[in-house]
Amino acid sequence: MTTPEVHIKATNLAKSVKVADGSLTILHDISLTINRGESVAIVGASGSGKSTLLSLLAGLDTPSEGEVFLGRHPLHNLSEDKRAGIRAAEVGFVFQSFLLLPSLTALENVTLPAELAGIKDAKARGAALLQQVGLAARADFFPSQLSGGEQQRVAIARAFITQPAVLFADEPSANLDAQTGQKVEDLLFKLNKEQGTTLILVTHNAELAARCQRQYRMQAGRFVNKDNEGLADVG
Amino acid sequence: MLVNIAWRLFWRELHRGELWVIGFALFLAVGSVVSLSGITQSVNSALKQRSAQFSAADRVLRSSQPFDSEVITQAVAQNLKVSRQMQFDSMLFAGDKMQLATIKAVDDSYPLRGELQLNRSSVAGVGDAISTQPGEVYFEARLFDLLNLQVGDKVELGMSRLTVAGVITQEPDAPLSVFGGAPRVLMHLDDVAATEIVQPGSRIAYRYLFAGTEQQLSQFEELMQPQLNAHQRWQKLDNQSAIGGALQRAERFLLLSGLLGIVLAACAAAVAASRYSQRHTQSVAVIKALGATTRQIRLIYGGHLLLVVAFSLVCGIIAGQLAIEAAQFGIQYYLGDFRSAFSWRPIWLGSLTCLICAILFAARPMWRLAGTAAIEVLKNTTLKLELDKLQLLTGALAIWALMWLFSGEFLLSVGLFLLCALFAALLMSVAALLVKLAKPVAAGQSSARRLALANLRRRLWANSFQLITFSLAIFLTLLLYFLRAELIGQWQQQIPEGAPNQFLVNIAEPQRAVLNQFAAEHDLVTGQYYPVVRGRLVSVNDEQLQQEATKEQRSEQRVGIGRELNLTWLAQLPDNNQVVSGTWFDAKSSAQVSVESEIAQRLDIKLGDTLAFSIGGQQLSATVSSIRKVDWNSLQPNFYMILSPDVLADFPATYITAFYLQPEQNLLLNQLARLMPTVTVISVDNIIQQVNSIISQVTIALSFILLIICCAAALVLVAQVQATLEQREQELAILRTLGARHAFLRNALLLEFSLLGGLAGLFATVLAESMLFIVQQRAFDLPFTLHYTLWWLGPVLGIVLVTTLGWLQLKRLMRIPGAVLIRRVLQS
Repeated sequence: MTTPEVHIKATNLAKSVKVADGSLTILHDISLTINRGESVAIVGASGSGKSTLLSLLAGLDTPSEGEVFLGRHPLHNLSEDKRAGIRAAEVGFVFQSFLLLPSLTALENVTLPAELAGIKDAKARGAALLQQVGLAARADFFPSQLSGGEQQRVAIARAFITQPAVLFADEPSANLDAQTGQKVEDLLFKLNKEQGTTLILVTHNAELAARCQRQYRMQAGRFVNKDNEGLADVG
Repeated sequence: MLVNIAWRLFWRELHRGELWVIGFALFLAVGSVVSLSGITQSVNSALKQRSAQFSAADRVLRSSQPFDSEVITQAVAQNLKVSRQMQFDSMLFAGDKMQLATIKAVDDSYPLRGELQLNRSSVAGVGDAISTQPGEVYFEARLFDLLNLQVGDKVELGMSRLTVAGVITQEPDAPLSVFGGAPRVLMHLDDVAATEIVQPGSRIAYRYLFAGTEQQLSQFEELMQPQLNAHQRWQKLDNQSAIGGALQRAERFLLLSGLLGIVLAACAAAVAASRYSQRHTQSVAVIKALGATTRQIRLIYGGHLLLVVAFSLVCGIIAGQLAIEAAQFGIQYYLGDFRSAFSWRPIWLGSLTCLICAILFAARPMWRLAGTAAIEVLKNTTLKLELDKLQLLTGALAIWALMWLFSGEFLLSVGLFLLCALFAALLMSVAALLVKLAKPVAAGQSSARRLALANLRRRLWANSFQLITFSLAIFLTLLLYFLRAELIGQWQQQIPEGAPNQFLVNIAEPQRAVLNQFAAEHDLVTGQYYPVVRGRLVSVNDEQLQQEATKEQRSEQRVGIGRELNLTWLAQLPDNNQVVSGTWFDAKSSAQVSVESEIAQRLDIKLGDTLAFSIGGQQLSATVSSIRKVDWNSLQPNFYMILSPDVLADFPATYITAFYLQPEQNLLLNQLARLMPTVTVISVDNIIQQVNSIISQVTIALSFILLIICCAAALVLVAQVQATLEQREQELAILRTLGARHAFLRNALLLEFSLLGGLAGLFATVLAESMLFIVQQRAFDLPFTLHYTLWWLGPVLGIVLVTTLGWLQLKRLMRIPGAVLIRRVLQS
């Protein structure tokens, strides 16, 4: 049996923000290790700090304390633009509120990250992905012309176009009805499996979290699993 | 790839509004600067050309030394047209009669500008454009009578005998003074040597006349300047006329108004750019999360601004040039031989304005946009219409830079800017105070009114800013409207319909009756007769004067004009005169004199001083009883010295009067000349016509600026309302969810805009009245009057404008069904 390759490693992460009367620590002493190809859920109630943790792991933000490595990249030490470069090459996102660019069509939204990364066959890749998510016929539609579920499927296609090594999904089905949400989740896990992507999913939906191999449970900015890094559940 | 993304986003964003507002604002700025600068330049150049017509050349070099062939050679080398003339006073002899005359000897090229009209008869009137030939002389009409000569007779000048060929009808560079000196004679330059008048030490004025393009002339002037000797100097073109004064005022006014329009347009651009940036904050965060760097974002959104700037610049320059062409066509239509020339100045001025507006007003929000952090993608950021301090600073800097650019005066621009800043601060404080005070007022009002007031209060900061820009927009519209009306009124007053266009000079006492009869026969209305006695001012308080004070000194001592003053006596103060100190004569006044203020200042004459005059060898004195300010721009006889009626009553006087002659009655001038050959007729018809044509040009330009200001003002309002669209959409959705009815929301919205508009209108009125006071007093030298219309027009205009524009933009939002609105807000 081969030793799994560590993909994301965080050590003693903390995040504080300035407030009117001093500073507020919203993340305390977080350490975790995620292996390549793993699917991990970060669960917790609203305001527990899971989205903040996601932003640090994805390199959207930097920690106030501690270290976070994505592969060999020390995200905690890199500038915004360096982190942007890493995101372009290795990271995909799916957001709760889809966050498609309203002035671009479905296909253009999908191809955007590939174009930013300078990938030549962006259009062909985008069309293929839209086919995969079942929206080939809606390629020229603008987000306002698509339903919530369709928008999220476009967002998933957009997340996979650069064939990222890691995919971060922030409450991907929270804004959708149960049936549509289920379809979107299926699609997410299917593509994840096909592309062998590491998946980090932030959710307060226990059912969705259960579909991941591991879960981290958060409360008030801390992990509540045993040893602060415990395996809550193996899915 | 990046270019594709930028272009795609740009293209799709075009229909969203803000880019059009930015583009249209910049287009307005460029278009107005190009056209205003170009039109002003054209009108100025028309004025110069008109002046050139009255100087018979574009440039005149005067010298007391004989002609220098080197000057001619250099001028010819610059491809300039050159003409030479000499002028001197000499006696003319005809039989036993003799007369001192001012002789002007000209060459074949004379005049280079304007028209010389001569008539081969002894009667002045309508002449032909013919030139002088060697061996001939042309006389001013009165000389025929004074020397008792007919056309074809010989006259002796120095050692020569010349043939009298006719009368001078129109001499382009004759002195403009209503009271010429000695009678004028025109001869050919080739005949001067034979007269042997020119001897060493003779007082001869030599003049070189030049004509060419402005560029050739400037080059030549630059070349000549260091070479000029003590005897040579450039003659200034006559710009001190009524036209010159009116145009100077017009130019200042055009630039001032233009600048105001540009500032408004720039404000609209800034607001639109801010809104554009705010609306794209989330998109940028998404693009950044997807891996874009700050530089890439800057390229994408900077590219948008660049495209808008380029498009606006090109369209603005084209529109501006078209306006210039139209204006030049108009000038040409009115002034005939106007030579228009293409100039780069309006274009670079327009481009510079566009860049200043774009970089300092619109670029800052775009720059901020690129700085959006990727983390924002996870935050549910709400739209905020917050003022960025740095943007305020750069915007203020841009306004000052534009003020400096247009005024060309550092101190003036700083002063004007500080004044504006003070106004803005004051307005903001008052606005904030009023909006805060709205809270207690709101209690006890109907719920729609309460909601309107609550809306105003809640967006306190944004509303204060809106109030300022609305006020500014309405203020400028009002200011321009009222100033335009006043300026035009003032100009028209200066030359009212039927103003005298013919001046009769040298009327002897017995001729008054003849003239009155002639006038009665032809339905002409002659004005007041001003008696004139020529005399010298010899001393002030027994202190002998070194230099005689003459009216002609004021306009650079024209060659050939006598040094005597025209003295008059009047019981009534003339209309265009104003006593600034002392009192005007009364029935008991004896041996008193009223002195014009400028000459009083120059000669240090004060009230109570005793002035001594020498008239025909007799001396008389008078005490200064008043100092008068004279409107030299009025086309009326003006006098430096007016004596009390008792002083000059015993001296033989000639008279001046004026009347209005309709164009079709022009031939009456010939009859008049035949009837009274010694009377000189000076026609100012051409001048009046030109002034009128320029006034109509400037009036059109002013209306054009008013239109620009109105457009810019509307643009500011549109941009401001657009900036709050998303926020309003959210609020409407919430209120609809809570069950608010359509009529309730509509009333609240209309009330909110009416309050804002009314308040802005009131501020604008106060500002406009204050500014009118300052401008009337300082810039245009007009008396101040309160503008009653302004006080109701301002607030009403504010309410109507703001409410209409606000409603037009928001009615679409109001009509969206509640369910759709709520869904849209939830999705965004």
